[in-house]
Amino acid sequence: MQYGMIIDLERCVGCHACTIACRAEWEVPVPYQRNWVKRLGPTMTADGMASTYYPGLCNHCDKPPCVDECPADAVDMTFTDAKSGKTKTMQVAATWKDPFDGSVQVDKDRCLGCGACADACPYGARYVNPELADDDSEGKVDKCTFCKPRVEQGLEPACVQTCIAGARIFGDLTDPNSAVSQYVKKGAKGLEVKDGHIGPNARYYGKKRDIGLLFADYTPELADMGSVKRRAMMASMVKPAMRKAKDIGLLGLAGAMLVKGLSEDKDNK
Amino acid sequence: MAFNLTRRKFLQTASLAAASVPLSKVVSASTGVTKSALDTTGTAGDKTVVGGICEMCFWRCQLVGKVRDGRLMKLEGNPKSIDNGTAICARGNAGVKLLYDVDRLKYPMKNVGKRGAPKWKRISWKEALDECGSKLKGTVDQYGAQGICVFPHGASAKYPMHYFERAVGTHNVSEASFFQCRGIRDTAYVQTIGKAPGEKVDMPNTKVLFFIGDHLGENVHVSHIKQYIQGLQNGAKLIVADPRFSASAAKADIWVQIKPGTDTAYMLAIMNYLVQNNKYDKAFVEDYTDGFEEFAAAIKEWTLEKAAKECDIPAEQIKEVADMLADNAPNVAIHPGRHVSWHGNDFQRERSLACLTGLLGAYYVKGGWVPPKGPKVGGVSWAKEDHGHEFDLNMNHHEDEKIYPFNPPGTPTDLIRDCAISGKPYPIKSCVVWGQNPMQTIPNQQKMKDLFNAMDFVMCVDVMPTDVTAWADILLPEASYLERYDYIKKGTQWDLSKEHQQYISARMPLVEPMFERKDQIYICNEIAKRMGHEAKIPVKTIEEMVDKSLATANLSIEKLRAEDGIHIRPGKDPYGVPEDFEVRLFNDDIEDAGYPGAPTYVAVPDNPKGFARLLYGRAPVHTFNRSQNNVWLNNAMPDNPVWVNDEVAATLGLIDGDTVGFINDEGVESATTTTVKVTAGIRKDCVYMYHGYGSANPLMTIGVGAGVDDTSLITRLAIDPETGCHGMRNNFVKLTKNGKVLDIPA
Amino acid sequence: MPTTEPSEDIARVYRFLSQCMQYPDADWMTDDFFNVLYNLLGTLGAVEDGVSIKKEIDNSSDPIEDLQVEYTRLFINGMPHVIAPPYGSVYMDQSFQGAFAGDTLAFYRNKGFGMDESADLPDHLIHELEFLSLLAKENDFAGEEEFLKKLFRPWYSKFHPRVSKGAHHPFYRVVVQLIDFFTKEEDKDGFQPNEA
Repeated sequence: MQYGMIIDLERCVGCHACTIACRAEWEVPVPYQRNWVKRLGPTMTADGMASTYYPGLCNHCDKPPCVDECPADAVDMTFTDAKSGKTKTMQVAATWKDPFDGSVQVDKDRCLGCGACADACPYGARYVNPELADDDSEGKVDKCTFCKPRVEQGLEPACVQTCIAGARIFGDLTDPNSAVSQYVKKGAKGLEVKDGHIGPNARYYGKKRDIGLLFADYTPELADMGSVKRRAMMASMVKPAMRKAKDIGLLGLAGAMLVKGLSEDKDNK
Repeated sequence: MAFNLTRRKFLQTASLAAASVPLSKVVSASTGVTKSALDTTGTAGDKTVVGGICEMCFWRCQLVGKVRDGRLMKLEGNPKSIDNGTAICARGNAGVKLLYDVDRLKYPMKNVGKRGAPKWKRISWKEALDECGSKLKGTVDQYGAQGICVFPHGASAKYPMHYFERAVGTHNVSEASFFQCRGIRDTAYVQTIGKAPGEKVDMPNTKVLFFIGDHLGENVHVSHIKQYIQGLQNGAKLIVADPRFSASAAKADIWVQIKPGTDTAYMLAIMNYLVQNNKYDKAFVEDYTDGFEEFAAAIKEWTLEKAAKECDIPAEQIKEVADMLADNAPNVAIHPGRHVSWHGNDFQRERSLACLTGLLGAYYVKGGWVPPKGPKVGGVSWAKEDHGHEFDLNMNHHEDEKIYPFNPPGTPTDLIRDCAISGKPYPIKSCVVWGQNPMQTIPNQQKMKDLFNAMDFVMCVDVMPTDVTAWADILLPEASYLERYDYIKKGTQWDLSKEHQQYISARMPLVEPMFERKDQIYICNEIAKRMGHEAKIPVKTIEEMVDKSLATANLSIEKLRAEDGIHIRPGKDPYGVPEDFEVRLFNDDIEDAGYPGAPTYVAVPDNPKGFARLLYGRAPVHTFNRSQNNVWLNNAMPDNPVWVNDEVAATLGLIDGDTVGFINDEGVESATTTTVKVTAGIRKDCVYMYHGYGSANPLMTIGVGAGVDDTSLITRLAIDPETGCHGMRNNFVKLTKNGKVLDIPA
Repeated sequence: MPTTEPSEDIARVYRFLSQCMQYPDADWMTDDFFNVLYNLLGTLGAVEDGVSIKKEIDNSSDPIEDLQVEYTRLFINGMPHVIAPPYGSVYMDQSFQGAFAGDTLAFYRNKGFGMDESADLPDHLIHELEFLSLLAKENDFAGEEEFLKKLFRPWYSKFHPRVSKGAHHPFYRVVVQLIDFFTKEEDKDGFQPNEA
């Protein structure tokens, strides 16, 4: 099974309800977000004047660029298929692609908050919340989970449930009879990265001029994996140091930085 | 200040007085310490409370609340609803942030400073109500009931409004939803078909959607959007006339990029073309209209070419539109509009819409204008009393006729303001503002301030400290829609072609009010008692009002609650023209009153040289100006960029994101700035902003100064002569950048 | 002077400070009340603070109304903007009744306390101080330390400077300083480190 989300831009009216419902459901603090709506145009395109929307979220990609970047220690994790009851055990760091439903999830307890995964995402779908920092991390990453806890209870994802225009369709892309598969047959496509094949599973459908505008403005590039990997490496290195009492190391640093800031201010006046 | 003792040392020496505590020890039914888990649980497991009816806007979707330990975590559409279903819009979802807004009014407060620059002091309800009661009674005793003017808005203002109109007896009531919004539409249609039209076009089943403005998508009403999208999905063609490429223009088959103010000419040309080419519904016109001959003669001058010139659109396009309507008549939806107070010539434009619908035979047929047959539920309020018209400001006593003959209910706003400020024909000395923010709603803010300064007493009732509340002497905190009973929401399924059903629901609280917020029945009744009207009080509590109302439909609060908040029963087929239905294409009464009996084009002033016309509209995440302090909604669209045509921008050297201010054609400058949005999707002679930003009140800590308050630039009073309602798109602006004023090229 | 248990004393201190944060009213803001406050400040070596409060009061024609206006401005709906609503959730969740309010209520419940009907929100400063006084009375030092560390200091340290900066009347500036003094962490020698 591979869960996917269809955004039908013929239906979408750009009301932003999906972003607020997600925020309410999962208590996502402002200024962060698990999903977003960008407003495009009016712009003259080859197919005429166009104005449309980019309701975006984590694409739970076929080959997610984020998962492999996580520097947390890998552990064995056993996954259970909700439908068949089958299980599978694999080694995962603090983020992984579910072997049964294809969604990409995070274990906040083991997350180091280094942000390598967030940097690796071409869509900016992840964020690190520094308020959740603890003795072992600089914060915790958060992202769209395809509302896994809701879906497992037979509910719709919060964004799908609230959509006033019926523009969000959720389901199994591997089931040829599902509504999402019908959209794929009609030509719904994901915002694939330039010169890449990561296989985004949120797919967009709509009028030619609107899809054209969306893809022209928001086709992303793969992240500079060099800097992503460096960040992950640094996070790994400081893990032991992070576990020590914070008031010695961090406080001292903060105090020193503060003093430095003040004297810089003086110089700049 | 540093203390020279440690805490421990201090404790060995001091002794202190104690005070009583309301914390009480209970035998622990311990819930255990909730460890703050890193992962939030989601709301699926929270308690569902039924009976919510939204009031973030006035479409009033049906809600359930998800409550955790007394905290409202989330709002969702009530799955039983046959109106909005489980869907609610951005504002509906953000209602929890209104509920818990830190800046929300909490206690009654008294202004011990100046009006406009208040120093607030919290007071008790008794003190507050005593003051309101005695001051208002004082005004009535000294000046008569007409000495009180009222600015109400929303469901909670209905009962108090009726109190002042009926029990106290003042005519001086100005509802913004009429005089600054849809009043013109309602009275124009009443003069054409005998009833107000609402937005009751059968969009899911239509073949053509005809919009003048109607930026659905930026204007969001949930079940209306469902109807609209269903229509498009079913293959309906969409024609949108708008100077700007709006959200609806973006889905249109034909976008008529019309010059602002000229829409009536466009429609007269369409109607004339239909008449001249025999493309109108002859049978319908014969059976159901009146005055066709005079009407046809009156519009004869409007050739396609004449309209094309006036409207600055191609004549072929007008013809294309007319043919499309004719080819698909009568199953075409001529949308009556909603906020129609644009230019001061709006009554005639609304008459045109109503007549066009008639010419096409598009009343009471599939896809046309069809009022649903909904359930009847009796209202409960103060008993009506006849107070005569001696002090009705809309009466010209010499001629014994109305000044504005086709006014919506209440008194035209500027008749009230002029009277209050000048003291003629009589003094108005007390002002009651209930749920309305006249400062950001009514053109010419200075005039509003002048009114307040002329008052002996001003009281405001609201949930948020909107701009107007800074002018109150007494400010009362109201229970929000999530914390009270009131509104009866009723109707039918949204797709009229589906199984006919009716629903009845009533607003019920989802949580208890915090602090000392009270509902409108309590507040109004307490004031009524102090003004000597205790005997007239129709209901003692808000629950009593709702139960009495529901009883007229054999329902009750208890029954509704047991039905998940919504009672559904079989409905009635709404299609089919009533026998006595009549479309007055030519209306003698209007003619007798001194206005054109057939729909007529009245030109609006052109742009002064160097200025662009200021246009405004809705943002999908805001409602009027009242949601700008909402943390979630502000985050979604934090300010209101000004749309500037790309060629104009290029000439002025402006790029996307530049910061600009405004100066209007009466020399008024904007207090704040906004950013430029450069786009080909707007005419060169106008600029556009979302309405409802730029609050001046520092008490709105999120919304204050974010973006520009468009109302501050709407200073010219353009009053629709038939109705007395304000037109608000007759001001022109120049942009200012870095202190320099930029002339808009011709 | 009668000797009292330290726990009894700190309980009284918390209760007094809680009272200081009630809405000003002539009923309880009597001469006795102010004398107790001046006395307390004196024993802490902060006599000048008591003097500045007394001066402000003596020079006013309606000192209680001054305090009411100040309280409204600082804590309820003030000009230029509500300065410092005294609820933990406002600083931790930027809202009333955020997750922080829920955690606070859960802590009370775990210790066997509930909220009376007349009570404000659970994370109101007044109730948190009252709760601390009850823990102290029961000699629950561990509970007191845990509550201070997890549910009081994280938000109070943000609330305190807002009041200090925004206050015009010395009364509230002094009161929040007192609360700060009595709720700060101490090392084993009774010294309070500077919070970063």
